[in-house]
Amino acid sequence: MSAEPIPNLPLEHVSELSSAAGEGRALLALRNQAREAVSPLVLPARANHLWRYTNPARFLPESDPTALTPIDVGPTWRLDEPLSVAALLAGGATRLVEMDAAARKSGVVVENLHRISVGDLLGTIVPASHGFLEAINMAAWRGGVLVRVPAGVSLEHPIRLRLVAGDLSLPRVLVVGGEGSSFEVIEGHVGGDRGTGKVIGVSEILVGKGANVRYGLVQRWESGVVGHLTARARVLTGARFQMSIASFGGTTFKADVGAFLAGEGAEVETYGVAMGGDSQHFDHHTEHIHEYGKTHSNLDFKVALTGSARSAYTGMIRIAPGAAGAEAYQENRNLLLSENARAESIPELEILTDDVRCSHGATVSPLDPEQLFYLESRGLPRLQAMRVIVYGFLDQTLARLPQTTRERIAALVAARLHTD
Amino acid sequence: MNTNAKPTFQCSGIHIHIGEKEVVKGVDLTVLPGEIHAIMGPNGSGKSTLANGLMGHPAYAVEGTVMLAGEDVSAMPPDEKARKGMFLAFQYPVAVPGVTVASFLRAAVSAVRGVDVPVREFRKELLARMEDLEMDPAFAGRYLNDGFSGGEKKRVEILQLLMLKPRFALLDETDSGLDIDALKVVAKGINAAASNDTGLVLVTHYQRLLNYVHPDVVHVFMEGRIVRAGGPELALELEERGYDWLEPAAAAGGV
Repeated sequence: MSAEPIPNLPLEHVSELSSAAGEGRALLALRNQAREAVSPLVLPARANHLWRYTNPARFLPESDPTALTPIDVGPTWRLDEPLSVAALLAGGATRLVEMDAAARKSGVVVENLHRISVGDLLGTIVPASHGFLEAINMAAWRGGVLVRVPAGVSLEHPIRLRLVAGDLSLPRVLVVGGEGSSFEVIEGHVGGDRGTGKVIGVSEILVGKGANVRYGLVQRWESGVVGHLTARARVLTGARFQMSIASFGGTTFKADVGAFLAGEGAEVETYGVAMGGDSQHFDHHTEHIHEYGKTHSNLDFKVALTGSARSAYTGMIRIAPGAAGAEAYQENRNLLLSENARAESIPELEILTDDVRCSHGATVSPLDPEQLFYLESRGLPRLQAMRVIVYGFLDQTLARLPQTTRERIAALVAARLHTD
Repeated sequence: MNTNAKPTFQCSGIHIHIGEKEVVKGVDLTVLPGEIHAIMGPNGSGKSTLANGLMGHPAYAVEGTVMLAGEDVSAMPPDEKARKGMFLAFQYPVAVPGVTVASFLRAAVSAVRGVDVPVREFRKELLARMEDLEMDPAFAGRYLNDGFSGGEKKRVEILQLLMLKPRFALLDETDSGLDIDALKVVAKGINAAASNDTGLVLVTHYQRLLNYVHPDVVHVFMEGRIVRAGGPELALELEERGYDWLEPAAAAGGV
């Protein structure tokens, strides 16, 4: 076996980047620490469970990501639904597009992440030590947003963040839900219309005690984008966190998402759908880390593939020593719509205590010919019959999401079904 | 029944192979609009293969000619046959999770009628047919056949029959697994379809359904062939005497 070339990733302009963005010393210190963590850069071994299916080198920026490039004035965004907050992250800039009166009045804060005075929470849920891409992001992130919903505040309408991929994007999102707050955040990833683009994104979500946060990660890049997104939530005592992930676009996409159940009674649900075609490569990793007892998590992840698309799904459930009374369920189903599509599904369980309930299931299967025949016998042409089956397969999972989010994702599923 | 009518369904020389094995060994059948035929036969005689093969099940190799209202549909895929007015009520309808009864039926009705039926109009019609079949309206929102009891599945097959209004319908063991109340409801649906000029073939191995649905013709099906045909009295005779007495006829290669 020939040796992999030694990757080189210069991070020479951290200070300039930080001062040009008007950052305080705390953020600069975080960036420098992260830079140290990847100097020199050592890529994870491919035998490492996280990188068995995707070459980590694919995500490396081709040039120094800290080099200052001019900030691109982002595209316009026409809102078509009532929102509590709309914020646009494009070309390294962050723009607040909308905050409705109710959100404003209840003290919701939306801030340019570069300008936060202290790095209090930044990097505490996804630290630089998480992995090399998370360290690169921490050293070089550009364009970020902090959303803070005060304790006890319930928002009727969702908070929508739109992240537009450019040639190289390293966005960073921090969401802080105060104690007992209740709201929905949707982080939508779009862009890449030049047919290229690299994205290394990191999102952190703190779900305060007793809070109820729904968080959606919707990726619909144009073809050509190579991207890696990491999202983690820390879910405190008695809080509920529902995460959804919907993956449609890009050429190579790896997602590492999950939650720490960091207090007794915390509940986490993760619902995912992924649709791949052509030669798309998807690699999804989920983690539900039960740090405390009497916690509950459920995960349902569905993948449908056409063409010669590839998907790997690895799902970690970890139940810490002493987390008695924890319950964790995981299910991953893959539907292959063409002979050349391939899917892998690997559950990873680390159950370090007794007195838990835990189950997992995984299937990889082609379309059921009996289902097709049934629908065809009712007049539906083959292609439509296939679409109905795939739509149902995915919508069953989407049915668990907030209604408008479900409808929007279902519309994306339907649109995708009509182009494949 | 109109005796001067042209056949709504006609098949001739039907042979069906599953792999190497010949399961259906030459079947001819003519059904007029509004006629009800019963095909009765013991388990394993090939009745279900005949029904599925005629509809175009991909696992079966079918030879012979299938005509719908005078048009040769033999070479058509199942969806095209359905749009020409052919219907099969399945013995074991498959579940399609995530797809509600209502959305599925709207897609099917739109496909078969060739027009996009407006939601409101469709909904009204669907609820009326469900009421006819004594179904809880909540059924419309359930995933198709997913977790349905045997009886519920059969009701939904009949619901589809009434919504799609085919020229010709094959009902494969639609009476099996039904309690008496469900059987009556299913029979009501079948009779309604017949009075709407749908030609029907009921595939069954019990006489039970025929207490509520009166067939014009009864065919006895054994070892891949129709071995005898007669009026309703033949069904009663089968009920009393079983199929054994017809075995010589089956061995001789049919009528």
